[in-house]
Amino acid sequence: MIHFKRLNDLLSRKYWAPVSAVKEHKGEAMNTLYNFVSGPLAWVAFIIFFVGCLYRLIRILVLVHKKEKYIYTYMSWKYSFRSILHWVIPFATVNWRKHPVLTIVTFAFHICLIITPIFLLSHIILWDESWSVSWWSLPDSLVQAMTLIVIGSCIFFLIRRLISPEVQYVTFASDYIILAIVAAPFVTGFMSYYQWFGYQVFTILHILSGEIMLIAIPFTRLSHMLFSPLTRAYMGSEFGGVRHARDW
Amino acid sequence: MKKCFPILLLLLTVSLFFLVYAYSQEDMRFINAEAFENPQRPPTVFNHDEHNELAQIEECNECHHIYDKEGKRVEDESSEDQSCSDCHEPKASGRKPALMKAFHINCKGCHKEKGKGPVMCGQCHVRRPNVED
Amino acid sequence: MAEPAKKVEEKKIIDEGLEMGTEKLTQDRIENVINRVLKGESGARLKAYVDTCIHCGLCSEACHYYLSQDNDPRWSPVGKVKQTLWEMIKKKGKVSPDFIKRAAEIASTECNLCKRCAMYCPFGIDIAYMMLVVRRINHLLGVTPLYIQDTAHSHAATFNQMWVKDDEWIDTLQWQEEEAQGEIPTLRIPLEKEGADIMYSVIGPEPKFQAQLIYQAAVIMDVAGVNWTMPATPGWDNSDMAMFTGDNEIMGRLKRAHFETAARLRVKKIVMGECGHAFRSVYDVGNRWLGWRMPPIPVVHAIEFYYNLLKEGRIKIAKKFEEAVTLNDPCNVSRGGGLHDKARYVVNAICESLVEMHPNREYNYCCCAGGGVINCGPPYKMKRVEGNRIKAEQLFAAKARGAKVLIAPCHNCHSGLEDINHHYGLGMEIKFIGDILYEAMEKPA
Repeated sequence: MIHFKRLNDLLSRKYWAPVSAVKEHKGEAMNTLYNFVSGPLAWVAFIIFFVGCLYRLIRILVLVHKKEKYIYTYMSWKYSFRSILHWVIPFATVNWRKHPVLTIVTFAFHICLIITPIFLLSHIILWDESWSVSWWSLPDSLVQAMTLIVIGSCIFFLIRRLISPEVQYVTFASDYIILAIVAAPFVTGFMSYYQWFGYQVFTILHILSGEIMLIAIPFTRLSHMLFSPLTRAYMGSEFGGVRHARDW
Repeated sequence: MKKCFPILLLLLTVSLFFLVYAYSQEDMRFINAEAFENPQRPPTVFNHDEHNELAQIEECNECHHIYDKEGKRVEDESSEDQSCSDCHEPKASGRKPALMKAFHINCKGCHKEKGKGPVMCGQCHVRRPNVED
Repeated sequence: MAEPAKKVEEKKIIDEGLEMGTEKLTQDRIENVINRVLKGESGARLKAYVDTCIHCGLCSEACHYYLSQDNDPRWSPVGKVKQTLWEMIKKKGKVSPDFIKRAAEIASTECNLCKRCAMYCPFGIDIAYMMLVVRRINHLLGVTPLYIQDTAHSHAATFNQMWVKDDEWIDTLQWQEEEAQGEIPTLRIPLEKEGADIMYSVIGPEPKFQAQLIYQAAVIMDVAGVNWTMPATPGWDNSDMAMFTGDNEIMGRLKRAHFETAARLRVKKIVMGECGHAFRSVYDVGNRWLGWRMPPIPVVHAIEFYYNLLKEGRIKIAKKFEEAVTLNDPCNVSRGGGLHDKARYVVNAICESLVEMHPNREYNYCCCAGGGVINCGPPYKMKRVEGNRIKAEQLFAAKARGAKVLIAPCHNCHSGLEDINHHYGLGMEIKFIGDILYEAMEKPA
């Protein structure tokens, strides 16, 4: 924690910044844009996200029902969770142990990616103002460190895509795009938080990119957020119930 | 450690210079944030007179409001003789919002309503108030 | 970028089945068939697998081909999906005849459907299933490697894999009965014995050229006092190459005949010989096609059967096999049926010492013969053997720790490992469990 705080202080430069009167507030147009992206557009993004996720999940289940009903007969809660549990614990599977660096990065990345936006104080304040719901928050300094982890991980994934032959071979433009979609809210959020330059632009871009990510989740391969527990559970059930073998 | 020393020295000198410079500015005002334990953002930049002049606010109770027990706003009374934190506690009680939310509603709420004044977090919680935002 | 020199050396394989099938293709037919399979036959599974794959490449190191080809990414599981299914989906079926030919080569001869990659994918994506979808498309387009297609034809015409005629089958059983009576005069191979406890089933190649395996099985059954029978009609063969060519209809006919034969004989169980793919067919795939969650009549693989006999003391060991052995866990019975621990119990019961190879159990590398690959015949032999250098390395390591004999309780493993044995100069003797059990067991004097 101490380290996060020191890093935070250093980055914010609040102790050595020259302080003078704030210039009269300008940029009404920026504020209008801000009100639009943080108001109606946020509603649109959240609705598309939730409805989209629900739609995708229901559609896949309907498809199972229509054409591959037998899948249900093999599903087992016990073996589903046995499999999922192994794969959500770092180093609990053979393949995680084979790739220690990637494992650390991917776990840190996914944890920070999900925790950061949900427990960031500024987000909670905005939700509280809009919907009067609030929950506990993480200290800003910690959240900023987690943001850096997400950005760093994205860079790691990018480099891995570029230089690792087995990844590079199956990489398409869409892979870079979804990586950028995920990285953008964190980069802009980081810039916005520290206010080095272009504060208003970064804030608006931050909200906009966050909304793009939300909308993209159900309709791109970011939907692995929705489907991976299902595919894992099915494979876990097949391995547990039929194959009597480990799948981790 | 030896390598760090010159850098640290340089940093120290520079910061001292800026600190002195900072404290020499007298027209700067911040919202009193002492009531917040462990604040996460820099205190809000706020120049009382300049704000009211720009916003053409005549009545103190436009901002320094009083609410009665039923939660109705009392006209003609104002609370400029008190601190906001005298009424608004760190946590909300009943319909009375918590201190932070009260600030946000009071300032940002009005700014949004009038379509004037800052609305983004960092426009008020300015890290380096000399920089044009 | 300089390509590695070995690509130049790679010989062009000519497969008549693929060549002739490709010649007959038209653009329309390709498009129709692909869309019929992708949109009509397949459903949520394929969709979820394609939409969920994040292209991370983590499946690569699961594949023995990838590891054996110096980590060349086009041999990785996901790399094979990219070269086949993704392209078909992206182009909505508008791919060229040559693309189909290459897809057939990849799906039928560069993947053993061993499902090891399903254990390495964080999302549990079943790439073997996707390769089977490609094979299905190829089957419907008539572009399947010649040798395995011939086998599938044999299944269709004779209900066995090797064009064994009905009377030849009965002849062979009687011949082996006579041979075995030289050892145990009272021994019988009961044919068509209704109400027996067990129907013993084998794969086509056993009567064709490995008849001693039937002999051994008969001796084991006789000594253990098992109430068993074999059918005198088609349905005796549990093997299934139609499953591997994507000819699901023939697969269904075969399995129906097999299970109905067992039902006609009113047996309690089907016991099968040491075969991996047949186990997959009767235990996992064929039964599903017929609408059975699990086999309609319990299927017991030889490993489990031996395990039960030894555990219950129905067979006693006179003298354990002395040379140190190592055990190759076949994908279809280990990763596919969890029989690895029982196999170890059996091997330890009949052998003095077992030297484990690594990885082992469900993590074992595929032999590179399964999944119908060896059945694609001579044109692909070197590709298959060179595509499993990692297996040779694995076996050399076990040999270095003392293993002299390699046990492979699966016909495909057996043949595939024999090729690897010769090509890499491994110098190991390869045996079935039954070979050793037959030697080691107590027999009436």
